[in-house]
Amino acid sequence: MSTPSTKESKGYRPGSLEILAIGLVILIIGQRWFVGLFDDPALQTGATIFISIVVQAMPFLVLGVVLSGAIAAFVPASFWKKALPKNPALAVPVAGAAGAVLPGCECASVPVANGLMSRGVAPAAALAFLLSAPAINPIVLASTFVAFPGEPMMVVARFIASLATAVIMGWLWLRFGKAKWLRIGPRDHLVGSSSWHTFRLTATHDFLHAGGFLVIGGLAAAALNVLVPQEWLLAVADQPILSVLVLAGLAVLLSICSEADAFVAASLTEFSLTAKLAFLVVGPMVDLKLISLQVGTFSSKFATRFAPATFILAVLFSILVGWWLLT
Amino acid sequence: MRRDVQAIILILVGGAVLRITIGDTFLNYVQEAMRPWLLLSGGILVVLGVLALIDSIRQGRAADDEQTPHDEPHEHDDGHGHGHGGPRAAWLLLLPVLAIFLIAPPALGAYAAARDVNNSAPTGEAKAPPLPPGDPAPVTVAEYVGRAVWDDGLTLVDRTVEMTGFVTPDPAGGWWISRMAVACCAADAIASKVKVLEVPDLPADTWVTITGRWVPGGGTKTDTAIPLIEVLTLEEVPQPKNPYE
Repeated sequence: MSTPSTKESKGYRPGSLEILAIGLVILIIGQRWFVGLFDDPALQTGATIFISIVVQAMPFLVLGVVLSGAIAAFVPASFWKKALPKNPALAVPVAGAAGAVLPGCECASVPVANGLMSRGVAPAAALAFLLSAPAINPIVLASTFVAFPGEPMMVVARFIASLATAVIMGWLWLRFGKAKWLRIGPRDHLVGSSSWHTFRLTATHDFLHAGGFLVIGGLAAAALNVLVPQEWLLAVADQPILSVLVLAGLAVLLSICSEADAFVAASLTEFSLTAKLAFLVVGPMVDLKLISLQVGTFSSKFATRFAPATFILAVLFSILVGWWLLT
Repeated sequence: MRRDVQAIILILVGGAVLRITIGDTFLNYVQEAMRPWLLLSGGILVVLGVLALIDSIRQGRAADDEQTPHDEPHEHDDGHGHGHGGPRAAWLLLLPVLAIFLIAPPALGAYAAARDVNNSAPTGEAKAPPLPPGDPAPVTVAEYVGRAVWDDGLTLVDRTVEMTGFVTPDPAGGWWISRMAVACCAADAIASKVKVLEVPDLPADTWVTITGRWVPGGGTKTDTAIPLIEVLTLEEVPQPKNPYE
């Protein structure tokens, strides 16, 4: 059953099962040599950080693909038409606010948003949900409250700035977005012989996809964690605008799960509250792992437009809300 | 990517997650509270993988019977940059699997602790409560730093404390007893360091339990201050079950 047919020759790696098997055998035989490569403490630290990001994200990712599979298989398309206002301009804030109810981190939100779109939800509304769900869900707000004792306004500021960014991005998409940038497709090949089969096919496909890109994000974050000296970061903390931009940029690079980022932000003690707010608003919406997931799920045309626009709006709202509530 | 390979990758990833969660290896990477979620997600992946493998074997058999290649209806490229219903990016999922099974990266240690410029997470300005009873009183390294640096050591005066951590060499000579604190996963770990006075040199990453008394002089009210401790007893210990605090 391993012989590839002629029809499969294009875009097909012949004998992927054999490549996998041979590769694994080589690695197992060469384990001692392979492990020797990782004796360097910097490499080991990087490997530990890489594994911890992947392992920490895994349950949320699985939850996300199970949810997106369930949406695809068990929730009839008509449900979304009833649940969301018909007018997309109204559906955007409703979907954005709905993000406050569903716990889940950003790794889960991309496949879920993709599932929503393929079920006929207006892309603008699904995108507002994609941005708001990881940023303002109860678990994230609770962790922010715990991370900033004595600064309860941080929670309020995070909620307002994140929801505002999500809703405005949804409306911007409605006005300027082009359907051809999104690659949702009917996903016919993921329709199985029964609801249960469809669920399995969708969950499996989404997991393999998002998981691959999570690995890229984890590698990038681990490399940065080990390569960028902390002294560089501390040097810019005194500059008000620059420090906001630097923490926003750091949020993009570090790609920490939104459940965890409040504790990291709290540990950046040299920085102003507004700069930390930018870290918390940007992180769940734009980071290396998310951009990579968006490229994989939607398309690079989408991600190169959507991610920078979200970044700019998130920074602007952080500065505004920070100036209003945190000074 | 063929469906049977996809299935095997799912089983491998799920298996790797289960492998580190059954046992305590996962504590090197994430927090104890993640255990049920890791078991659940690892289990789901293995089940999805096994079912997909059964599918693919059945399809293969049916295809042999009908003299057509298996998977025929799924071979169009769906625009995800992959035909065959399976994304190429999925190959990358083998990286964490290999890292877990072949390298098994250790808990963060002296290298990460030395890289951390700041010492511990700030505890804020609030007055620290008295130390727990006991002689010596058990404290975490982070707690000791908090009490010594941010509370002027007031609660440490005339008390003997006991703490466990690993050796991080001090570039200026001697070493720090140190421990990483993890909020969520090892990626956000923050190091706490206490300078131990008048002890023999030990290799980096040696785990020790010390008892000792606070002495002033490490600096206060700054993020980079490293408090001092005068060591009474020093004992090498195995790495604790949970390497973080």
